[in-house]
Amino acid sequence: MPLLECRGLTRSFGGLVAVDNVNMAIEAGEIRAVIGPNGAGKSTLFNIITGVLPVSDGQTVFAGEMITGLPVYRVVQKGIARTFQLTHLFPDLTAHENVRIAAQAQHADRWRPLAGGHVLAASRKVADEALEQMRLSRFSGVKAGMLSHGDQRLLEIGMAIAQKPRLLMLDEPTQGLSIEETDRAVQILRDMLAKGDLTVILVEHDMEVVFKLADKITVLHRGRVIADGLPDEVKANDEVQSAYLGGLE
Amino acid sequence: MRERLVIALSAVLLCLVPLVVPNYTLTLIVEALIFGLFAMSLDLMVGYTRLHSFGHAAAYGMGAYSTALILLHFNLPLPIGIILGVAISVVIAIPIAWICTKSTGVSFAMLTLAFAQLGYAMIFRFKDISGGSDGIGGIPRPAGPFGIDFFQSKSGYFYLVVFCLVGSYLLCRAIVTSPFGAVLTGIRENEAKTRALGYNTRAYKMAVVVMAYGFGSLAGALYTPFAGFVAPELFFWLVSGRVLIMVIVGGAGTLIGPILGGICFMLLEQQLSEVTELWPLIFGSIFIAFVMLAPDGIWGLLTKRFRSKQVVPGDGEDGETSRATP
Repeated sequence: MPLLECRGLTRSFGGLVAVDNVNMAIEAGEIRAVIGPNGAGKSTLFNIITGVLPVSDGQTVFAGEMITGLPVYRVVQKGIARTFQLTHLFPDLTAHENVRIAAQAQHADRWRPLAGGHVLAASRKVADEALEQMRLSRFSGVKAGMLSHGDQRLLEIGMAIAQKPRLLMLDEPTQGLSIEETDRAVQILRDMLAKGDLTVILVEHDMEVVFKLADKITVLHRGRVIADGLPDEVKANDEVQSAYLGGLE
Repeated sequence: MRERLVIALSAVLLCLVPLVVPNYTLTLIVEALIFGLFAMSLDLMVGYTRLHSFGHAAAYGMGAYSTALILLHFNLPLPIGIILGVAISVVIAIPIAWICTKSTGVSFAMLTLAFAQLGYAMIFRFKDISGGSDGIGGIPRPAGPFGIDFFQSKSGYFYLVVFCLVGSYLLCRAIVTSPFGAVLTGIRENEAKTRALGYNTRAYKMAVVVMAYGFGSLAGALYTPFAGFVAPELFFWLVSGRVLIMVIVGGAGTLIGPILGGICFMLLEQQLSEVTELWPLIFGSIFIAFVMLAPDGIWGLLTKRFRSKQVVPGDGEDGETSRATP
């Protein structure tokens, strides 16, 4: 049974069908890249899977459980963590506090207004580890808003990891990074993925990054899946060539 | 550490106040402390969650009126009356919080204002119970339980208020530094992100609104038996506006700042109103000056020197990370 299964997901905005009957099955442990030109519906797909936007039609099944129509926080509580295309942080809090709040979300006593010392201590520990993994430990006490763009992107991924998700959804993690920063981010992501049994969906524009990281690739074009398979198969696909890759090379 | 010392010291100094000040001044100080507590309660919403309420008078009025009615109609000791008054207010605050948190930003502020004005209107509507525009007078300060009656004297009441203020402060401080408080901070900084991390932000906002109303109604409940009467003005939007100014001038998001703001505001108002009728003009100027020149408020000014400097990330020696421009 796949960890995540999208069945005929559709989302339209007025007359525009942003996501059109998308079927996709992601196995546990898989690293799936979702690619496609601008406006292909990648971010919308993320938003409807996580419940940020309601679906017009279709279903999402996560770990055998229907999650369609659940509010975002419930979907996330099931074990899905995501990053945003535009960095979403708590800019006035330190890097460590950012990750700590993320880690706390997985604790059963996360809501405690009193007698919550153990929650804070546990979250602090998870935050330390996540920052270490992102190699941001030395910026622990720095306000997130003061970090460089590249470090902010990594911090957001760190927050997602601190949530200990079963499925990690990364929306263009290398967006806006310089070549050096991208290399560093890819290296960190590779180390992270080599370690665990994380399942990942990755939206990415940078084809180099995609081919370095992904096990399988889904290609979206105008909201529809036009190809689905191993990187080499996708590369060789004529339709993909003309819709997307061809335009770049 | 230094902060703790300052707080402990000021608590001790506060306890000496009734011994040295004249009777009339003590009245002013008690009212100022009550307003300090009131302002602190609003800080939970404004400073920690960025929920701008323009109707916090509702909390004050509910606490004051429910305590007044209990003390007047039931033969209960004062502390029990106050506790029941707060409890009733908290129960009423739950549906208010439920409705208000359906919206955000300006509409949230307008909804809170609407509820306060609704309370104001209801006082006039139900004259038989509430006394209408005359308010309710002759509210007693019954002794007990266990024969405790120190609060029947003015200086004794002062200690009761100090006890409630310090207790509430410590409780609020525990709340804002708890896991719950961390979520509030998240909501303040970026609510969408907080939700995306798996928090039901609406529930947290509802909870903090109810807590703020609870502490605010405690301030109102303490006011009632002290003044001996309540009037519909307690619900009026001017009260809501004033307490919001106290929070901002005192230093939102610090708890202690709004307490200072509330106390300074009340004492200054008393002094100025004796000298000139133009005191609101002076207040307006002070408010504008603070917003423009010292957005961190009184407490921000006081602690500026002690605050540790923000660590600025330098260039990494190993070149791992490049820059740290804001």
